[in-house]
Amino acid sequence: MKRILQICVLAIALTLGMAPAVAAPQTYKLHVDGLSCPFCAYGIEKKLGSVKGVQRIDVDIASGAVAVTMAEGATLDEAAAKKAVKEAGFSLRKFEQLQSAPQGASAGPAK
Amino acid sequence: MKVLVKTALATLCLSAGTAWSAPITFNTALPVHEGGWVLREQFMYMKIADDPTPAQRDMRVSGVMSVLGYGVTSDFALFGMLPLFNKRIDISMGRQDITRRKSGVGDLTLLGRYTAYQYDAPGRTLRIAPFLGVKAPTGEDNARDGMGRLPPPVQPGSGSWDVLGGAVLTYQTLDFEIDSQVSYKANREANGFQAGNVASLDTSLQYRLWPRSLGAGVPAFLYGVLEANLVHSARNRSGGADDPNSGGTTLFITPGLQYVTQKWIVEAGVQIPVSQDLNGTALKNDYVFTTGFRVNF
Repeated sequence: MKRILQICVLAIALTLGMAPAVAAPQTYKLHVDGLSCPFCAYGIEKKLGSVKGVQRIDVDIASGAVAVTMAEGATLDEAAAKKAVKEAGFSLRKFEQLQSAPQGASAGPAK
Repeated sequence: MKVLVKTALATLCLSAGTAWSAPITFNTALPVHEGGWVLREQFMYMKIADDPTPAQRDMRVSGVMSVLGYGVTSDFALFGMLPLFNKRIDISMGRQDITRRKSGVGDLTLLGRYTAYQYDAPGRTLRIAPFLGVKAPTGEDNARDGMGRLPPPVQPGSGSWDVLGGAVLTYQTLDFEIDSQVSYKANREANGFQAGNVASLDTSLQYRLWPRSLGAGVPAFLYGVLEANLVHSARNRSGGADDPNSGGTTLFITPGLQYVTQKWIVEAGVQIPVSQDLNGTALKNDYVFTTGFRVNF
């Protein structure tokens, strides 16, 4: 009985210890040229928001930076980002992949 | 009289033609994103009087200009503009004053715009976009009252197929925007009447009044607006002859305000004619009050 109990405890410990880490969402920073008024920012949110896997978008108009947070396990392809920015009427100057956002990080929802 | 109505309405129509823009009285080259829509509703009230003749003509036009724009691609957009007018003219005939009026849907204008040049940099953009359009005679052009057929300026529609074209330049930064547009509208004959062609040069400055410094995110902007419209109309032709009391050149100055958010814009301005060099006894414009909103979707 004692041995069975030891095996159960070990199994539970191994299960907890070896549980795969939940992948944190990937976040990307897009530097967008031409973004200079609030009315135009709507298009970039709409276009990037329609890219598969995009979960949240934060536009900072002063710096021309757009932070894109992906759903768990999803990644953003630079070509897809460039296409979305172009369709919104702007130019993608720089594409950066940031460190994975911590779980529960707050950001604006994809629109 | 005809020239002023024509001038003001032409300005209003062209302003609606590129409805995504920031200017109040004319349009610029800000983008309608691919697959996106812009709806603009513009309400205006125009007073045209200052008649030098004993008739003491006094014309008032109120209306709503509905504009729907669609981004076919990121560079090419289509626009449809449909006005709804309520026109009234009071004329003194000796001891008797008469009033003639008509309300109705005006002529539909369809317009395409192609962004031929675009330079984007951090926080600013420069765009040049030619546009070309056609005005279809969808409005009633043979309206009558108890005194017979209404004069052309009081008719909701012109009855003619007209073409218009031009180019618009936009330079926009986070602090201000400058737009400039040159346009030409060639009018054709209908019902024995041909309105004179209209050429215009328009410029607009929008300056961000608030917030003074930009924080994070996408704050709403309050713009102070100052616009100028130089409009030249050729003489009308009626019955095969030029009308000596039509045509001329007017310079409008328009102060205004705009409140701009991501999804909508509200705006208002008053077009004031600061110089009017009109032919003969053409009526002079007193002012045009314009207010409206735009929605992105």
